[in-house]
Amino acid sequence: MSPIVPLRVVLIGFGPVGARFAEEIVPAVASGAIELTVVGAEPGAPYNRVRIAEFAVGRADRDDLDLLDIDALTAAGVLIHANVHAHRIDRSVRIVELGDGTRLPYDRVVLATGARARVPHLDGLERVPCQTPTDAAGDTAHSSVLDGGGALTAGVQVLRDLDDANALRAVVAAGGRVVVLGAGVLGIELALMLAGAAAVPTLAHFGPAPMPRQLDRGAAWVLSASLAAAGVQVVPHTRAEAIVTRVDADGVRRFHALVSSDGRSIEADVLVLSCGVEARTDLATEAGLRADAGILVDHGLRSWSDPNVYAIGDCAHIAGPATHLHDKRVPGGPSGLIGPGWRQAEWLARAFVSDVDGALAAPFDDELPAMVVLKSEGVELVSAGEIAPEPFTPAPRGEVAPGVAVWADEEHGAYTKMVTRDGVLTGFVSVGMPRTAAELGVLYARRAELPSDRSLLLRLDSAGEATRSIAGPEATVCVCNAVSAGVIEAAILDGCSSVAEVGRCTRAGTGCGSCRSRIADMIEASGSLETAPA
Amino acid sequence: MSAASAATSGDASHEPHGTDTHESHGTDTHCPYCALQCAMRLDGPVGGDPGSPVTVSGRDFPTNRGGLCKKGWTSAELLTVPGRLTSPLRRGTDGELHPISWDDALDQLAHELTRIRNEHGADAIGVFGGGGLTNEKAYQLGKFARIALRTSRIDYNGRFCMSSAAAAANRAFGIDRGLPFPLTDLDAADTVLLLGSNVGDTMPPLMSHLQGARAAGGLIVVDPRRSTTARLTDDGAGLHIQPVPGTDLVLLLGLAHVVLDEHLHDETYLSERCSDIAGLRRSLAPWWPERVQQTTGVPASVLRHLARRLAAGRSTYILTGRGVEQHVDGTDTATAAINLALLLGLPGVPGRGYGTLTGQGNGQGGREHGQKADQLPGYRKITDPAAREHVAAVWGVSPDDLPGPGLPAVELLQSAGTQGGIRALLVHGSNVVVSAPNVGSVRQALGRLDLLVVSDFFLSETARVADLVLPVLQWAEEEGTMTNLEGRILRRRRAVDAPDGSRSELWIMSELARRLAAPGVWSTDPAVVFDELARASAGGLADYSGLSHGMLDALEGSEVGAHWPYPIGSHGTPRLFADRFATDDGRAQLVAVRPRPVLEAATGDQLTLVTGRLLEHYQSGTQTRRVPELRDAHPGLVVQIHPVTARDRGMTDGARVRVSNHRGSVAATVATSIDIRPDTVFLPFHYADGESANLLTSDAVDPLSKMPEFKTAVVTLEREATVAISD
Repeated sequence: MSPIVPLRVVLIGFGPVGARFAEEIVPAVASGAIELTVVGAEPGAPYNRVRIAEFAVGRADRDDLDLLDIDALTAAGVLIHANVHAHRIDRSVRIVELGDGTRLPYDRVVLATGARARVPHLDGLERVPCQTPTDAAGDTAHSSVLDGGGALTAGVQVLRDLDDANALRAVVAAGGRVVVLGAGVLGIELALMLAGAAAVPTLAHFGPAPMPRQLDRGAAWVLSASLAAAGVQVVPHTRAEAIVTRVDADGVRRFHALVSSDGRSIEADVLVLSCGVEARTDLATEAGLRADAGILVDHGLRSWSDPNVYAIGDCAHIAGPATHLHDKRVPGGPSGLIGPGWRQAEWLARAFVSDVDGALAAPFDDELPAMVVLKSEGVELVSAGEIAPEPFTPAPRGEVAPGVAVWADEEHGAYTKMVTRDGVLTGFVSVGMPRTAAELGVLYARRAELPSDRSLLLRLDSAGEATRSIAGPEATVCVCNAVSAGVIEAAILDGCSSVAEVGRCTRAGTGCGSCRSRIADMIEASGSLETAPA
Repeated sequence: MSAASAATSGDASHEPHGTDTHESHGTDTHCPYCALQCAMRLDGPVGGDPGSPVTVSGRDFPTNRGGLCKKGWTSAELLTVPGRLTSPLRRGTDGELHPISWDDALDQLAHELTRIRNEHGADAIGVFGGGGLTNEKAYQLGKFARIALRTSRIDYNGRFCMSSAAAAANRAFGIDRGLPFPLTDLDAADTVLLLGSNVGDTMPPLMSHLQGARAAGGLIVVDPRRSTTARLTDDGAGLHIQPVPGTDLVLLLGLAHVVLDEHLHDETYLSERCSDIAGLRRSLAPWWPERVQQTTGVPASVLRHLARRLAAGRSTYILTGRGVEQHVDGTDTATAAINLALLLGLPGVPGRGYGTLTGQGNGQGGREHGQKADQLPGYRKITDPAAREHVAAVWGVSPDDLPGPGLPAVELLQSAGTQGGIRALLVHGSNVVVSAPNVGSVRQALGRLDLLVVSDFFLSETARVADLVLPVLQWAEEEGTMTNLEGRILRRRRAVDAPDGSRSELWIMSELARRLAAPGVWSTDPAVVFDELARASAGGLADYSGLSHGMLDALEGSEVGAHWPYPIGSHGTPRLFADRFATDDGRAQLVAVRPRPVLEAATGDQLTLVTGRLLEHYQSGTQTRRVPELRDAHPGLVVQIHPVTARDRGMTDGARVRVSNHRGSVAATVATSIDIRPDTVFLPFHYADGESANLLTSDAVDPLSKMPEFKTAVVTLEREATVAISD
């Protein structure tokens, strides 16, 4: 039922979220219902940015980052403009104008421009304006953020794209010293991976504890200890103020040390800034689209300002315009996680296909709330939802205190907190208890009620739990014939003196035969115990 | 069970593991139940006295090595339990079933079928077969449907069983033989990954082949429940992975991701024996372990450990069961297991492999010879002109006279009494009002039929609602062949005479064919029908053309056995894929798969229902619920539930509860166990009427295999008293 005139869709941004959208919509492109044009700022095929740190430390190859088959996309009829920026969106005539002058007419435009790394102000840090022809549209001089690492003082970088990763790869391969500034989830993952890759990592962060938004005091304490144990030198209370540089023999000014406000300095071969990200909204705002923490879209992922514009992934801020239209600061914002981005891409592609089929798509409801799972081998950490409530804390008047259950074992590096409302898990954090963390993650995503005995969830990691078995006369000895120890003992007392005889009397041992040695032991044991046969 | 009662129902003379020393005129045959088809000997009746009991003894054979499980040991009781049908029954105007003569039954049936065909077309008649039928009966049933009834509407209960594994194997390997290697190959394995299979309860003697893996600490069982089989991993024998029900596909994607990520894959094997890996690699990129953990509840560290353990195995096998296959994404899940096996370089390599553990007695042969809606004998496609020509020639008809593909089981049953649907249904070897998904709606559908005919040897629950019941033979009364889970063709032999009044299905089909003036030859001799099957299968994937009953008798018990394909002049094929796969280019196909949105998920205080099997029962229980010792072990429906989950609902062991959802409701007794996840309950599906677990299961189907979703229904639990008051 495809219309005679295909729906013209222009997708801006070809990162993992854009790629997923393109992949999902390919069947409709192949059938002629939709005409898709993709604009990507980076050269080559899209890659899995989520694993960029693994690539940077040499744990993943470039091949491992591939996400989709560009040739298959092209063969299906998708038009791809790579290595070029979208310069502007002219909504009045519905045209996307590219940096190279190409003009792309659209019926709908999808923004998947993602986020860029935030670069803090540091004395001595140079910000060389990008000179490449692929200069990001809207990257104005006053912007406090940068795309790509090439624009900073040598030896200082962010870690967002392949160029960044390749720069860091060289340092890691040489076993160099790396100082990571910022102990968010990405900074911690990077520091742990660096330690595993035989580089020398230092993790410097603001304040007393890592991941302040995702961890409470107990979890942060255990995490810090785990980081130290994994070989990451953690420097808390780092108010980074400046960098010290030196000029090498090649005449290049390079990073030498990070200096904090209390005068401490950390020397390293490279400084990786892991200070959070900001949605790339410039293109949208310059086109007059409203943005807050990201481009504001409704639960149909459609711009508040233009029904022909959509946004997905790290650049999108989903909120209901009906409730928040007049808010100065709209609550929420992009999660910065790939899971929700991919779900948005899949949903929007389906919605577009439904539209051209004349069907009505249900509103986007992110059934899986955001959850942070530390990607690391050795430090198991998961955090989701509200984690601040403490036990034994009275609720303010008129409010109901949530249920809080905590397990803390500092000595063994284990900590879990569960927060529930009406029995349903509304937040949790867990460190060093992998099965508990995994189980709580599932229960949280499903908004399931927890069992009233919360300790059940803490015992999943116990070694004894897995191997306990029923003992005594009711224990099954012969599985094939469901014969219990008691029945076999009775047969032995009745005079069965060989495994074959026990088998004839009870059928025990007459299936797969694996319990026959056990039966022999039972016969032997009974013989040695009995002084006189019954 | 007491030792004393076991002694009376068992046989004091059998020698389970020793050499057979019988001098009596016993009959060597195989067990009536599952696809392991344990070799057994039936002795007696002594002196030909029909009143004296037949005794069972285990027989040495490569698969069961003389062992039998509780079901096998008690199987002879099927021959003497009350309730055996000995006369055709016709529903009278009073609504009751009354005996009628065979002549009347067949005349009336032929008349009715002709009337329906004349009034509504041949496709108004449906045929529903079973994976327990011998090869001869399954073959003849497919032929009967196509050229005697001339209907396309035939399918069978294997659709609920092996269809996903079959579809996955066909698209990856170009062929579907459950185990492409003899079971004894597993003996030397140091690593066996069992995905969703509880062999400890379903086919216990198979466990003897897992002892090597256990000794090496390499038995890995993936099951949401701590099943009998999962317990075999205790004490250092291996690893039990307990994912959230319905997340096996994601788990397998995560394992494959780790294998590629850590370069644990077999590059040489992949380049020499498989299709291009690029697409698979890209599809696996998004499934890193921490993401998989969020869906499966299996920690990332465990996934990595497991992937490394699989790759480190010197002799590694991956085996799937219904637990991962009986889902709406069952084909893709089996495909993901195959992909993992291919990445590790297992299929077709000596000492390594991938397989699926077929369930029903002839679940393998039953899916090869034409009971499937889209299939002709020899595992041929009914849409393939060459296949149609070949089979039509064997049947003595024109290829143009053969109907096209019919409807898969769920659709076939649901079409009953609807526009363009079936108006009559002939059921053979299946008890659909217990075993079909969303069985409440199936019971309604059968009620819309003009004519329901059931052939069985007991008055099964489906027979109870039939318009006409035809008493047929059971295993120890008939000759034929069965193809076991290894693709080994076995002889089933007659040990006793059938009771007066019962008839073989071959005879029934022959009589009906004559009355319907059908073309073709309709032998009632299983050996002759086998010879015809062999000719019809010649050149097909499942080629039996080099075999006959005589050949099989000669081969019986030999270590090699008769594994198909067995073309004329060959010695069979114990191991497939030595040089090439059965695909067009000889390479195994790596098919990228991904999860689809979840249909229904438990939230709040809802629980996930997993259905499955008990040691004592086989399938819908038509047979096993009639054997006192088996019935008494579990006389009624018991719901397995975690003690904390039970306590939170005010339930204790032995409490009567209702397990319900929007499809239906069953009454059950609570048995608490820490072997089950707190968010999951387990029900066996063997029970009838208001105790049928399938009243709760979904009839949503896999888009490729048309397998229904048996394993992840969402239910709530209430104490029965509460329900009674609220009613």
